[in-house]
Amino acid sequence: MGKLIFRLVLSFLVFVGVFMLIQDYLTPESFGKYGHYRANSLDDNKKIIPQFKGEDACASCHEDIYEKKSETVSFDDDEYILHSNLKCETCHSPKIDARTECKIKPPKLESTRKMCGQCHSINASRKNKIKMIDMSDHNTEKNCVECHNPHNPWIE
Amino acid sequence: MKEHYQHLYEILSQVDGYIYPNEIEMNWGLMIVLYPYITGLVAGAFILASLERVFNVKVLRPTYHLALLTALSFLFVATLPLVSHLTQPLHAYRILITPNPTSAMAIFGFVYLWYLMVVLLLEIWFDYRRDFVLWSKDSKGFKKFFYKTITLGINDTDEKSVKIDDKLGYIITLIGIPSAFLLHGYVGFIFGSIKANPWWSTVLMPVIFLFSAMVSGIALVMVIYMIVNWVRRQAIDMVCLDTIAKYLFYILIIAFALESLDQIHRFYEAEESFDIIKILVNGKLNLTLLGFQITIGTIIPLAVLGLFQVYQPSEKLRKIAYFIVGLFVLFGIFFMRWNVVMGGQMFSKSFSGFTTYKINIFGMEGTLMATAWLVLPILILMFLLWLMPPWKKSTEYLH
Amino acid sequence: MDRINKNRRKFFQTSAALVGGTVFYSLIKPFEAKAVEANQTELDPELPLWGMGVDIEKCIGCGKCAEACKVENKVPAEPFYFRTWVEQYTIKKDGEVKIESPNGAIGGLEQSVENEDIFKSFNVPKLCNHCTKAPCVQACPVGATYVSPDGVVLVDESYCIGCRYCIQACPYGARYIHPEKQVVDKCTFCYHRINEGLLPACVEVCPTEARIFGDLRDKSSKLVKFMQKNPTQVLKPHLNTHSRVFYNGLSSEVK
Repeated sequence: MGKLIFRLVLSFLVFVGVFMLIQDYLTPESFGKYGHYRANSLDDNKKIIPQFKGEDACASCHEDIYEKKSETVSFDDDEYILHSNLKCETCHSPKIDARTECKIKPPKLESTRKMCGQCHSINASRKNKIKMIDMSDHNTEKNCVECHNPHNPWIE
Repeated sequence: MKEHYQHLYEILSQVDGYIYPNEIEMNWGLMIVLYPYITGLVAGAFILASLERVFNVKVLRPTYHLALLTALSFLFVATLPLVSHLTQPLHAYRILITPNPTSAMAIFGFVYLWYLMVVLLLEIWFDYRRDFVLWSKDSKGFKKFFYKTITLGINDTDEKSVKIDDKLGYIITLIGIPSAFLLHGYVGFIFGSIKANPWWSTVLMPVIFLFSAMVSGIALVMVIYMIVNWVRRQAIDMVCLDTIAKYLFYILIIAFALESLDQIHRFYEAEESFDIIKILVNGKLNLTLLGFQITIGTIIPLAVLGLFQVYQPSEKLRKIAYFIVGLFVLFGIFFMRWNVVMGGQMFSKSFSGFTTYKINIFGMEGTLMATAWLVLPILILMFLLWLMPPWKKSTEYLH
Repeated sequence: MDRINKNRRKFFQTSAALVGGTVFYSLIKPFEAKAVEANQTELDPELPLWGMGVDIEKCIGCGKCAEACKVENKVPAEPFYFRTWVEQYTIKKDGEVKIESPNGAIGGLEQSVENEDIFKSFNVPKLCNHCTKAPCVQACPVGATYVSPDGVVLVDESYCIGCRYCIQACPYGARYIHPEKQVVDKCTFCYHRINEGLLPACVEVCPTEARIFGDLRDKSSKLVKFMQKNPTQVLKPHLNTHSRVFYNGLSSEVK
């Protein structure tokens, strides 16, 4: 009986031991440094290259446009900020990653009525939040940019 | 990449109401239905075997070894559907390497290993050890090699060693019962612990899974016992079969009562999620829940088995009835798992709409794969019955 | 025979001692690591604690955020994968609630109910809520998703096995399987950007400043100011996930 139990317990312990050795060997480095995860994964997540550059990057070359965009407009005794709140990349979505010179692939924009309508078309959920335009009625044959400078829509 | 979303366009057009955009794809499919189903069969078969051994229900003797071998064959396959549903199946070993102690799924790996290594293999080993020694003397080839190896060099065949085997086997069975409860209760917990999903998140889930597991395991052993005896042209022990059927009847009542309790509780409390669940049960789950699971899988078996408790028709009729009832129960429990897994994903967590499940034939989650995982344990069982036939055992224990 | 047995016993004893020693050591070692692990708080008080404010009263449903997110994080363009999206709620006069988010609001949301039937209408941007007690982190079997020391719920792409338990555990529908990578993917608050001092892409492009990003530990940050000024609420507070995306103007219809 002793022999039997000894062998069984021994094989059980050998199994557990081998298992734990394998476990130790296969656990990735940096696992468990901060919590139950691979700490190096934090760096993997940081390493991704951004696409959007941020407004400062745009302003460093296009100061004129940036200033124009920042101007406010007085209308009926109220001051309106208009598009000065908008970041450049809200409309000019990047065509190339932020590490690369954007001149290689400039974020040029084909202005369309649809684009402006994305924010300005009439929608009950936009009431009192933004100037709404009835796109099916307001100068339907014209492109918005023919009258409104997108960088400051009330000037010109 | 296209093959991963091609079919989603069709489902997108069938979305009913509002669902979160990421919810169009149902992430758990047929494989996750099979996983609790097969694990349940294991736990159920084992508990039937324990009835004979621990609770001393002697009439169940003819099915004891069969139940153990059935449990083992299905246990070998139990985790394979899980692995094949992973998007990174080759990395499945990480569950054992860095198991997250707070994850129900991670700890399942250890519960599974414990059950396989310490409970089932050991119990069967103690039960067969003396026969292995005896068989190793008058067989040759692979069988001889296998018997010799599996004895681990312990060649005692005397009365004393048999007594020890019996005693240790008994202890293992004692450990085995809570382990079997743990194994399948745990599967229920994997679903029951998801608080984000009101269809799953109920404390009763582990208990419901446990009793439905017993129901399916008992039905499986009953069916397999009949088939094996037909194939071997042996007479079926009707006292044994009637007793199994009686247990099936009782446990089916408990399982049904628990499930009803869960639904009544849901219905009466009528929490935030109730409206969407009501539509789910009356709509997308109508056939599989009310039709398959409840009518075919529960009501009809209950009626037949209940009738047999008060009125016993001829042996032949009973045999046929038991066979059909067994298959009905197995079918019903499969759809019980289906309704849990699929039902929980069909409605959006926004409680405002539904997506649909499109079943595939091919692929890792397809019906072919599912059939393979269901046939494989049967093949393993056939192999085990060839390798260690219970009817050729000469060691009879006194317990 | 006796001698063989003796030799055998000796062999077993030696090997048992060897194996036992190894087992003992390897038993201790993981516990050592676990003890260290348990002592460490998941959040580092020296680091920022990132969070986001969402001002429903300002959101116009233009979908620029969802669009930018897909560009920034290379999320597949198909309408099944979103790290962020905008939902439009329209409460009709008869009490019916209509929720919609075609293509996650990319290209802008359009009004779909006649004006005279509308009681009120508003847009709700959604994203990963970066829960402090994240159910997805609790559920992940291998530790492939975690709360970073600065409070962002991240995915370890190289370690995820794709069991999708986290997707089931997330109450907000914020996770999906990336069709190319075949692992789970989700919003990271643009972790690569915020560590360079940039804003998350969705915050960067929002034309109405409906999204406010910042450090919850920094009492002068825009986010803290926003939370002081407005009564804020989190989504599904009953689930006790301690999420760090705070909504102003959250209506009870929002799910």
